Amino acid sequence: MPAAAVAGARGGERPSSLFWRWLRLYLEFGRVGFVNALAYRLRYVTGIVTYFIYISVYYFIWKAIYEHSTSIEGFDFSHLLTYIGVGWIIRSFYFNNIDQELAYQVMEGRLAMDLIKPVNIQLMYVARAAGESIFRLVLLTAPTALVLFLVYPLRPPASVRHGGAFLVSVLLSFLIVAAINFVVGTFALRLQSILGLMRAKFFLLELLSGLLLPISFFPQVFQKIFALLPFEYISYVPMLIYLGKLDDSGLARAIALQFFWVAVLLAIGNALWSWSSRKVTIQGG
Amino acid sequence: MPPIIEVKDLTKEFRTFRRREGVLGALQNLFVREHVTVRAVDHVSFAIEPGEMVGYIGANGAGKSTTIKVLTDILVPTSGHVVSNGFVPYRERRRYTKHIGVVFGQRTQLWWDIAVIESFKLLKEIYEIPERDYRQRLDMFSDLLNLREYLHTPVRKLSLGERMRCDLAASLLHNPPLLFLDEPTIGLDVVAKDRIREFMKEVNRTEGTTVLLTTHDLSDIEELSKRIIIIDKGRIVFDGDLGQMKKRLAKYNQVKFFLKDRSQVAYLSRVQSDGIVCERVDELTYLIRFDREQHSSAEVIRQIVNTLEVRDIFVEEEPIEEIVKRIYLSGEVA
Repeated sequence: MPAAAVAGARGGERPSSLFWRWLRLYLEFGRVGFVNALAYRLRYVTGIVTYFIYISVYYFIWKAIYEHSTSIEGFDFSHLLTYIGVGWIIRSFYFNNIDQELAYQVMEGRLAMDLIKPVNIQLMYVARAAGESIFRLVLLTAPTALVLFLVYPLRPPASVRHGGAFLVSVLLSFLIVAAINFVVGTFALRLQSILGLMRAKFFLLELLSGLLLPISFFPQVFQKIFALLPFEYISYVPMLIYLGKLDDSGLARAIALQFFWVAVLLAIGNALWSWSSRKVTIQGG
Repeated sequence: MPPIIEVKDLTKEFRTFRRREGVLGALQNLFVREHVTVRAVDHVSFAIEPGEMVGYIGANGAGKSTTIKVLTDILVPTSGHVVSNGFVPYRERRRYTKHIGVVFGQRTQLWWDIAVIESFKLLKEIYEIPERDYRQRLDMFSDLLNLREYLHTPVRKLSLGERMRCDLAASLLHNPPLLFLDEPTIGLDVVAKDRIREFMKEVNRTEGTTVLLTTHDLSDIEELSKRIIIIDKGRIVFDGDLGQMKKRLAKYNQVKFFLKDRSQVAYLSRVQSDGIVCERVDELTYLIRFDREQHSSAEVIRQIVNTLEVRDIFVEEEPIEEIVKRIYLSGEVA
């Protein structure tokens, strides 16, 4: 395949060979993201400890809260502990720094080096983040999961089917986060510094994704509003799938909506990038 | 053959806002912004033939980097026409950038934390370089630029000279017909500069690569290019052959002489007359710069040897640095 794909690079090529070339390129970006993460492998070891501490803190807080009730909004203690624990485990995978990378590219005047490359810059960033996420899956997500499942009584997925759907859903979570971060990062092109914006996004995402507590714990009004936003599809929805709280049609609908948000957010990022990269003013040099 | 780069009436304006000072000023900035339009490039036109090596020079802020950034499709021009390598850069970014090479001396296009060879492999995919060509060029560059020992080192651990050589190789892996170099020798020592210049000459000779380079080091230009374009305050003030520039723009000649001993210093004033002034270089070395129109070298030399006891005497054309400095300072050509 590869040789043929390259040979057919010029002139009347089949769509299939075009697709393979495209895939090959962005897989290569993924590989570079993976290799790049290798340079900072020590960071991930400390990450395991950090995640363990976080979840231990939540364990004791929620344990205290559940002293007085057996069920809150349909979550008993073991469900809630699993919701929080597995929620953080998947966060260690879907999380990425595309916004920060873009912010620094702009602040340090390196954006030019992206612009001179004949590639789709959005896909380049997403592919690199994917490579890094795969790296983290091995060095951070898996060990963290192992430790947490050994130490705390976390529940397994509700069924094999739910487990499978959960994995697909988490992959889509990664894409939603990557697409959101790209949109945020793109603002750096016009605003120069987006450090404040990034912080705001960080807290918004923690809260509205359902990472800190299930969305069903919020007042009805908020729940209705959040349902119209992409954020709860990052953590809340995959966790509902994991815990088996969605029936078959609800599950299909949830994953379809995740796809929908990936498409919409990528399209917004793409449009925003095209618009602002035309107006870019590179400092210095 | 038609020119490979054609720039017509290129103008690029930046809109910035004036920042007021102090706390009150900062508050005021939040609500009322005073916009200032800066014209970095002002109706610039030139054409470059395939295979040419052209030096594009100008003082800091003259507009040379802005021109390069339009030509490399980082900036979109405010007005004017650019056709480069058969493309209008800002209309066809991805197709255009696939066939050019770019090096910014102050930045690297390599990935900071990974080995150089990993960046090269990625570039191979980005530019769809066939395996055989890639191998061959990597081999050739490794030899010419002496890269082999760094290929497996992360970029962040390289010295500036090493990094620059890797960047140069990276920009040429896909054998682009057109190469843009923005201050490629900035911060490099003499040996490193020399190696890069030799390499550029070799690539230009064997592949016919067209090169447009900006620099502050005029010896780059003297070594590499026959043609020089000088930009000042956004406008082109000279475009032509280097020799022609010297002939046309050199105003002064200079005579450098070494006194026999210190006692001669007392008599220096006798040499000076209208338009002939001695400048001290060091204790026994002096320099007279004089207008070529008003005085002949013979006349000046005669005056020196008749008045002073000198050990050595040299006549020199005005160095290119001096000519360019004069243009930068006065903004006018002859």
